Amino acid sequence: MKFKGMAFVAAVVMCAAPALSRDLVFPPGVDDRFDWEGYESFSRTDLSDEVLTISGPWTGPDKVLVENVLAYFEAATGARVSYAGSDSFEQDIVIAARAGSAPNIAVFPQPGLAADMARRGYLAPLGEETADWVRANYAAGESWVRLGSYADRDGDTALFGFFYKVELKSLVWYVPDNFTEAGYDVPRSMEELKALTEMIAADGATPWCIGLGSGAATGWPATDWVEDLLLRRQPPGVYDAWVENAIPFDDARVVDAIEDYGWFVRNGAFVANGTASVATTDFRDSPKGLFTFPPKCYMHRQASFIPTFFPSGTEIGRDVDFFYFPAYAGMDLGAPVLGSGTLWTITRDSPAARALIAFLKTPIAHELWMAQAGFLTPFKAANRDAYASELQRAQGDILIGATTFRFDGSDLMPGEIGADAFWKGMVAYTTGQGAARVARDIQARWDSIR
Amino acid sequence: MPPLVMALMSILIGVTGCVGYVYFSNLVLDRVIFPASGQTCARNIGRANLVRPWLFLFPALAGSMLYLVFPFAGAFWRSLFDREGDAFIGFANYRALGADHVFQGALANSLLWVLVVPAAATCLGLIAARLTDRLRWANLARAAIFMPVTMSLVGAALIWKFVYANDADIGLLNAIRATLGAAGPLDVLQIPVWNSFFLMAVLIWTQTGFAMVILSAALRAIPREIIEAAIMDGADATQIFLRIEVPQIKGTITVVWTLVTILVLKVFDLVYAMTGGNFGTQVLPGFMMGVMFRDDGRASAVAMVLMILVLPILAWNIGQARKGGD
Amino acid sequence: MRVRARHPLRACRAANIAVLVLALVWFIPTLGLLVSSFRERDQILASGWWQAPLAAERTFRVRADAGAAVTEGGRHVIAGNVFANDADAAMPGRVKAFGVSSRAPAAFGTGLRADLVGGGSLSVGADGHYRLESPRAFGESAPTIYVRATMPPRFSLDNYRRVLADDVMVRPFVNTLAVTIPATVLPTVIAAFAAYALAWMEFRGRGFLIAASAGLLVVPLQLAFVPLLKLHQGLGIGQGLVGIWLAHTGFGLPLAVYLLHRAMAGVPRDIIDCARMDGASEVQIFSRIVLPLTYPALAGCATLQFVWVWNDLLVAKVFLPPADGVRVMTVAITDDLLGSHGGDWGMLAAAAFISMALPLLVFFILQRCLLRGLLSKAPEWR
Repeated sequence: MKFKGMAFVAAVVMCAAPALSRDLVFPPGVDDRFDWEGYESFSRTDLSDEVLTISGPWTGPDKVLVENVLAYFEAATGARVSYAGSDSFEQDIVIAARAGSAPNIAVFPQPGLAADMARRGYLAPLGEETADWVRANYAAGESWVRLGSYADRDGDTALFGFFYKVELKSLVWYVPDNFTEAGYDVPRSMEELKALTEMIAADGATPWCIGLGSGAATGWPATDWVEDLLLRRQPPGVYDAWVENAIPFDDARVVDAIEDYGWFVRNGAFVANGTASVATTDFRDSPKGLFTFPPKCYMHRQASFIPTFFPSGTEIGRDVDFFYFPAYAGMDLGAPVLGSGTLWTITRDSPAARALIAFLKTPIAHELWMAQAGFLTPFKAANRDAYASELQRAQGDILIGATTFRFDGSDLMPGEIGADAFWKGMVAYTTGQGAARVARDIQARWDSIR
Repeated sequence: MPPLVMALMSILIGVTGCVGYVYFSNLVLDRVIFPASGQTCARNIGRANLVRPWLFLFPALAGSMLYLVFPFAGAFWRSLFDREGDAFIGFANYRALGADHVFQGALANSLLWVLVVPAAATCLGLIAARLTDRLRWANLARAAIFMPVTMSLVGAALIWKFVYANDADIGLLNAIRATLGAAGPLDVLQIPVWNSFFLMAVLIWTQTGFAMVILSAALRAIPREIIEAAIMDGADATQIFLRIEVPQIKGTITVVWTLVTILVLKVFDLVYAMTGGNFGTQVLPGFMMGVMFRDDGRASAVAMVLMILVLPILAWNIGQARKGGD
Repeated sequence: MRVRARHPLRACRAANIAVLVLALVWFIPTLGLLVSSFRERDQILASGWWQAPLAAERTFRVRADAGAAVTEGGRHVIAGNVFANDADAAMPGRVKAFGVSSRAPAAFGTGLRADLVGGGSLSVGADGHYRLESPRAFGESAPTIYVRATMPPRFSLDNYRRVLADDVMVRPFVNTLAVTIPATVLPTVIAAFAAYALAWMEFRGRGFLIAASAGLLVVPLQLAFVPLLKLHQGLGIGQGLVGIWLAHTGFGLPLAVYLLHRAMAGVPRDIIDCARMDGASEVQIFSRIVLPLTYPALAGCATLQFVWVWNDLLVAKVFLPPADGVRVMTVAITDDLLGSHGGDWGMLAAAAFISMALPLLVFFILQRCLLRGLLSKAPEWR
């Protein structure tokens, strides 16, 4: 009795929570970088009574960005959108789905987890026409469809995830002033990068800042290194087979890539504060060495999100810049690019959820985030002038111009491997264990979950 | 309605509900069902007393059944199934755990934690309680020692980052080493085996204050006459402490020890936040979280192992309860 | 009084020193967090907190403003002050040395003249005034000046201001209070009844229940999340305050029962027996005798539960809806401040302190309870 009453009270309080109703950051119809037609066309969809709940991984400043985009969907359709970001999204969504309290839309940072959810029947398929749309409109469309398609409970494969917001991982950050003063050139090939590394060390300075620390996820930055290097030493087919474990983790080609990462990290003269500090330095703190005087390091390999952690007041393009983590000139494997992205899925079907996915297919949905910060897209029809900065445009061009695009392998592997054993294995390798042994242990773990 | 008003209302409803329930159910039992009057008076009193304990127990029993016993029983059942939860595989999860050297490492670490942390926290807490007992600035000292108890885990992890950081400019420990003339910074979280002790230090740091508060209350409760008598016999402070005070509060020491042990067996977020379970510091709860929601069968099996670890201390508690209670 | 003076338990100097050392060792890490909460993120990463009150040596870069170039007697000159950005600081810094390359940022002492790579020269005075001279015009990018200077200590309330102003913590603080108070009171009350039954009533299965209550202490909560959330959905409670109160009550019961049972079992048997002889009912014995006698245990038990619920992240994440309006502090801290795209340690430190305030207050109240003379007669926990 008493609980029923309270439940009612609770329900009232919850409904009274203010819906997301913020001002539109770019006044509709003004800026001609945006495709306002797409926005206008949505005002014909009337969803005034619908509530749309979205759960995703973005918190803090990023949450504001996504809410800014969603505000346009709200304004156009009248739906009430409530976005909730969580730092432990991966765990929360599994609990919510199993308990039957899933939101309408879940935004997965890891396809591996989405595949798992699809197999358990928690996701609604997006339909063949969405798959066709992605194929036709995304650069390397087929690979995006493949990354978003999984087997459902009955084993039938369908498209479950729509990629919106892509991140580039193959970037090396550096301070142009430091390079100019020391007379270093931006390397065009991996051979040059290695030569530069040796040269900086020979000059008595330290070439790299690397930090693997990330609380429970400690080790993940190293998995990006290994994946990037594997793509530069082996054809993409090997990478794909490795991700699916069609070739074992302890295959000589994989061990070779791990050891290539070791070339950088296990040489005490190449990393700031020595190899021992790599495993415990927080990845958020690791780029600070670029900005000290004298510089503690000259280069930092990290994805496109890292400027958030640069010292306040750092102007990108002037105080710091990036170059493409280059490929081996001698390997003839083109210009492979490693990236990741977020996957929008429907976890509780509703007309509003379908409408949102449709909204994400309009150029304006992409341009609105491009014009803010930290957003890259493979959508060819999105106006590249909409990018907020030259820097983002350059990253976007790397993405569009990649001869090979591969998704972060650790995000595609089963959780126990990609989000545990691989991370821990890389920490063990960085702190001195043999590459072959580490790879063998990871493979053993993989065998144990089959 | 603002959440706080709701909270106050819920307390009002909850507490009056609970108190009212006990009062009226007893009333009904004594007056209506088994009235202590008439011919069957004696029998009715006896019967009422058979039922009464369950009236007192019912809310707690229902709550813990619903929220702990059933899920736990379900977890045991689940631990006999495979990762999908479809196929019954008997004790295969347990056998797989036995063969897993990561699990073995975590088990060994957990045993180490269970041995070291409760002992250290209780002893330090006892010493702190005893020493601050007759101090003029006791409150200040106690506040300093108790402060970590109130700290959230995020705060604690951040605090110790400023102590352990592998950088003489951030980590206090390395700064001290640097002033003493040590060559380079040392990452204490990476020294095999010892790193576990550095992590334990954090938990000891947070739990000592808790032990101190409870133990000092117990120390104050010791009848003065006993101590005065010992003083008359010429006992010195150390003797009084070891021979009289400690035996007198043995029960409280068991309580504190048990509670810290329980905490040790549950805490994983600390290790998670500080090393992510790397460098051989993994503990059982952390290992369990690694497989939780991916392979629930395996995770449940780990939970059962945790349960077994606590059996000795449980036996100790029951033994004490028997000795004292009857 | 004379007896007191000879009392061997009086605090001697050794005890004073020992406590001082212990308290310091315990407090110093916390002090680090406190100091850090008044510093900015860049400062935290640049120097140890123990150096914060001292004048710190800092090396930084200044870009000369090419637009400010003037021609003096055929030479192009840019003049300015390296501390221009710190103009509002109460105490200006002092330049110790300067340089023209990042690798040797302190190659020249103040008053010296450094040659620029592209021709021309640079001089920097101790007060920060610099002068760039060149026979040729400066391009769009004027030379960069590197300066090593002693900067006065800098503290700011910015972290606290941001944490409190942006509504990052205020609403969550209230929410945490709303979650914590009922989740502390309810299990304590419910457990008190059960503990009394376990301690002073005879019935079959009593020993088993005592053991079980202790055994339940270690049940990992994570096991219960999915089934309980399903149950709450089924009951129509869903995710919300009511759900989390019930969850914390359920999860907190074993601890409360365990503690209170031990405390109540410690009440001398004679007292209870006397009361029974006098015809007191069980409810009367419970409320008039046992409860007052075990008051410290109740307070201690409630404090424990309070601190545990206050700092809980796990249960809050599962049993509260993910919407902004009902988030508690721990969730707000981890999601907004610690989030993988945050990492602002200064703000985090400030938030951690704000979240500590109330539990500390509870501690001081508890201290008073425990120190009241009346309570020293209370039985001990067995």
